[in-house]
Amino acid sequence: MRIYLAEHTIGSFAFDESGNLLDYVLNPKELGKVVDILINTEKGEPMPSTVELIQKLKPTEVVIESETESAKMQSLGIKVVSKPHHVGAKVLRSSLAEIAVKAKFAEDPKDIYSFLYQVTLEYTRRKLRKAAQKRDLLAIQAIRAIDDIDKTINLFSERLREWYSIHFPEADKLVEDHDQYAKIVSNIGYRDAVTVEALTEIGLNEQKAKKLADAAKKSIGADISDADINSIRDLANTILSLFRLRASLYDYLDSIMREVSPNVTELVGPTLGARLLSLAGSLEELSKMPASTIQVLGAEKALFRALKSGSRPPKHGIIFQYPAIHVSPRWQRGKIARALAAKLAIASRIDAYSGRFVGTQLVEQVNKRIEEIKTKYAQPPPKKQQPPREEGKKDRREHKKGKKGKRR
Amino acid sequence: MSESIETVKETGMENIYECIYVDGTVRLCTKNLAKGFTVYGERTVNYNGVEYREWNAFRSKLAGAILKGLKENPVKKGSKVLYLGAASGTTPSHISDIVEDEGKVYGVEFSPRVVRELILVAQHRHNLFPILADARFPQSYSSLVEDAEVLYVDIAQPDQTDIAIYNARYFLKEGGHLLLAIKARSIDVTKDPTEVFKTEAEKLKNEGFDVQQVINLNPYDKDHAMVLARFK
Repeated sequence: MRIYLAEHTIGSFAFDESGNLLDYVLNPKELGKVVDILINTEKGEPMPSTVELIQKLKPTEVVIESETESAKMQSLGIKVVSKPHHVGAKVLRSSLAEIAVKAKFAEDPKDIYSFLYQVTLEYTRRKLRKAAQKRDLLAIQAIRAIDDIDKTINLFSERLREWYSIHFPEADKLVEDHDQYAKIVSNIGYRDAVTVEALTEIGLNEQKAKKLADAAKKSIGADISDADINSIRDLANTILSLFRLRASLYDYLDSIMREVSPNVTELVGPTLGARLLSLAGSLEELSKMPASTIQVLGAEKALFRALKSGSRPPKHGIIFQYPAIHVSPRWQRGKIARALAAKLAIASRIDAYSGRFVGTQLVEQVNKRIEEIKTKYAQPPPKKQQPPREEGKKDRREHKKGKKGKRR
Repeated sequence: MSESIETVKETGMENIYECIYVDGTVRLCTKNLAKGFTVYGERTVNYNGVEYREWNAFRSKLAGAILKGLKENPVKKGSKVLYLGAASGTTPSHISDIVEDEGKVYGVEFSPRVVRELILVAQHRHNLFPILADARFPQSYSSLVEDAEVLYVDIAQPDQTDIAIYNARYFLKEGGHLLLAIKARSIDVTKDPTEVFKTEAEKLKNEGFDVQQVINLNPYDKDHAMVLARFK
């Protein structure tokens, strides 16, 4: 006998080839149990009611909808064929409420729908919880927070420099580091207190300290009051605390990246690794990307412009931040980017699906390839003859060159 | 806000209304099934003791399609709707208003981030079933849903039309309708949008659909179209 088997939240139903209901076994009408059963079917485990139904009917052949379950069902010793939307499934799904009432799963349609509603909510909640437990999402949020902090630090530092320059304008040029500048304002404050000793105490080298102390003596800045300097100091303190926050987030990011994605982290470091995850959406998404996509992640604007207008595509996206790429001469960058992206694709797949650590080998292979590129393409390629440009058609790359659109 | 309302009028479509304000502006709206709750910060209006929710055409492609001249809305009171790409539940909530308690809306969405919000919407609407699943694999949710009169597809994927057809074979009743929101930019950025709409509509015709209308959603959604098709 051949049966068409259809599974649903309410149970398992067997039909003949013209869609008549032969027999059925119901699922327990308990929320937790049904959700367990549903989640297991997705992993290829047939419903217990299905197993019971098959043992009851002893068919020679079973037609099911979902291929994922066929392996486990074949182990029951029957022939299994998978055929999506077969007649039985169609009948069950088009008159679900009716069948449920007839099978005495529910008293009336209202009852069955309210049960179904509960099950769906619980099922989705449970899957959601599982998705939220993925730690890569934490790394993504951490790197985004770091980027936000960097932006804020820059913004605040610009303001601090403008503000403090009313009092001590020479310091702006002499101290380039934001962290150091904020420390000077916070710890020393008044221009008159800027001495070599005070400066070396907060970490400036002798030479620089001397220069700065000299400038302080001859400064053309205005005199300000205690209230003025205190407000400026408050801003400097905020900047310093942002620097501390950034450092602690970086440590956190480093540890979490080594945990969720050790191979990618080994290859490109925690920051760039997390940025790649952030752009891809998650580790799993990154692992599904071809190397060519990883190579230009973050350069979408340039890529789509190239696809649309037929101009030259970008050679690298966010992986431009990888030191070997941006310190190399222009003509080597694309080749290095390609090699690195290929290894990143491998690394992310291992991270997502097996967790083995092969980082050191991958790093070795990339370095070897970079060496090879550096020796083989040491000289820039000969300039190609520019084809004569069509009248009135402007090369779109030309006037965009100044803006570093594809870089971050 | 109820002071500034002049009247609420029925439109030609079941359970879809027009709110006419004193200053002359006209907005689509639906009767709020979950009284006192809004979904995306939309304005509510009380008229003759009924609460209506404004339906923003810039946020919902179905509303956009209606304003752009959708001939027939297959979503009616009591309809069963399978909604692929339910996102955070903006359009599904209005569909849930329209079908009322007799109808059902099965909302499939793949991104956990937005399902979080979809669940919050569904909590006040017992006819909206949120399902976290991948629309590419109908088998994974076939035991949670039932066959539907309307298949609404709004998933910005390059192969969205194929996914819609695949799901129609599973879950769309004979003679049922497909509403397919096409995002030209996610199918092929290099092609002209109208051309993309044409090829996608052609695909549907070849797979046994009777394409009844293709509506360009400009200015509500740039480079988007809504296709209404009947499944034979």
